[in-house]
Amino acid sequence: MPPAGLDNLKHIVVLMMENRSFDHMLGSLTKQYPKINGLTGNESNPDMNGTMVQVQPNAKFQGQLDHDPDHHFPGVDLQIFGGTPPGPGRVANMQGFIKSYATQGTSINDSHAIMSYFPPKSLPVLTKLATEFAVFNGWFSSIPGPTICNRAFAHYGTSFGNVDMNLFYIQDPIQSIYERMVQAGHTAKIYYYDQQSSTMEIVNLLKNQPQIFGSYSQFVADCNGNTLPEYSFIEPCYNDHPGPGGGQVLASDQHPDHNVQEGERFIANTYNAIRTNQQLWETTALLVVYDEHGGIYDHVVPPACQSDGYSATADKTGTGEAFNFDRLGIRVPAILVSPYVPRGTVIPGTEDPNGLVFEHACIPGTVTSFFLKNYDQATVREKNSRNFLTPLTDTLRPDDDCWVFDL
Amino acid sequence: MTKKYKLMMKVPKTPKSAYDHGRFISSLIEHQIKHFSEVEKSLLKPGQKLTDISKIKTELQASKYLKRMTALLHPQGADKPRRAAQPKKPTKTAKGAKRKSKVKTKRVKRKSR
Repeated sequence: MPPAGLDNLKHIVVLMMENRSFDHMLGSLTKQYPKINGLTGNESNPDMNGTMVQVQPNAKFQGQLDHDPDHHFPGVDLQIFGGTPPGPGRVANMQGFIKSYATQGTSINDSHAIMSYFPPKSLPVLTKLATEFAVFNGWFSSIPGPTICNRAFAHYGTSFGNVDMNLFYIQDPIQSIYERMVQAGHTAKIYYYDQQSSTMEIVNLLKNQPQIFGSYSQFVADCNGNTLPEYSFIEPCYNDHPGPGGGQVLASDQHPDHNVQEGERFIANTYNAIRTNQQLWETTALLVVYDEHGGIYDHVVPPACQSDGYSATADKTGTGEAFNFDRLGIRVPAILVSPYVPRGTVIPGTEDPNGLVFEHACIPGTVTSFFLKNYDQATVREKNSRNFLTPLTDTLRPDDDCWVFDL
Repeated sequence: MTKKYKLMMKVPKTPKSAYDHGRFISSLIEHQIKHFSEVEKSLLKPGQKLTDISKIKTELQASKYLKRMTALLHPQGADKPRRAAQPKKPTKTAKGAKRKSKVKTKRVKRKSR
């Protein structure tokens, strides 16, 4: 018998933000919540002078990472392995973050900013959700690389062998989670913010499957009108642009150097859209997750994983070594929200011998297994993925026990 | 009638100074535009010229190109962004209501911010 939380579940909503590591956003919570695998405050990296620089609770909303930290495959390799060149027996040590940032023309002092993290009071929304619902200690990006290939894992369960930002094309028989759902008589949508921001899922999905798209405005309307699809994927606003009637629309993706507070407001608005419709609130699970770490420090070594059968050649990776998709990328914040999740739930990760490892293939993997049950064409990584709905229990928290954000 | 909630948390507003549509585009937006340019090639009619995306340097320029292309591919997405319905706090006591009115006065005074 599944728990009541799963039995009553009708909607899964995934909000994928941009380019922030777990420690940068949630690492400070360890002091108050020791089960959260964040920072002790003693973690450090060497700078270009060899001086050890400790993590600091001095992250700024904007203007601190205005050189976009490197998060392409070779840069992330440097961050994870500290500059040890590829070869047998090299050990990941998470010691190359400052070195990596310093290669981007930052001064020695400015390169230290990559070790910065937010104190809880700076991120009231993310902190509230992480401590009121379930936080995953071991959710990693799928590839030690940039956005497009990582987001591909959230849509397809694979990046089809890509480790970069280039266009890729779907290889049969793999289908996106949206196509799988629709073909099986279910409902699914990708909601992009607006036409000026648009979507990152262009060629394969927007060009060929425009019916599975909606705007964020439509998402809010669907929440209000009880017409939300069974599965929804939300994209934040990716750029600053003029709004209707002379207003200003701020990027809400939290990609450096976009304002982190605006991302907080976007997360809060998305949560509120579900929370303020009681029927929807009791039947929906919301996952807030980041696509990759954006080059920003995290202390947890990414674990090995099941290879998905693809290989990126040495010239594609840029490291001089091929990559067989057998290691995950750097850890990112991931929070599961539902009134069936007990307050203060922490899902242990690699710090615990019995911990669980999650990555973005868990998204189509979980959605497929929940709504479609048996589906033969799931990718290798999906088949090996953990179900992120396991924090849902039998107990529905009272309405007065769950917060609402005042925007 | 809008429901009232017991546990409400105020979320700080983003300062207006955060807005900068003249910001240079990131690698992410640059690649987003490149992907749209590939789509544009397949949508060109005889005599039409491909947009020169090498001239797109700022977020404003990027947003205009993205809007034009997205409108072609997904005209249904033209609606105005909206916020979730704003929830109400529980009814204030007289003391609480008085405090709220003081805050309002302060906000009016800080209009130059």
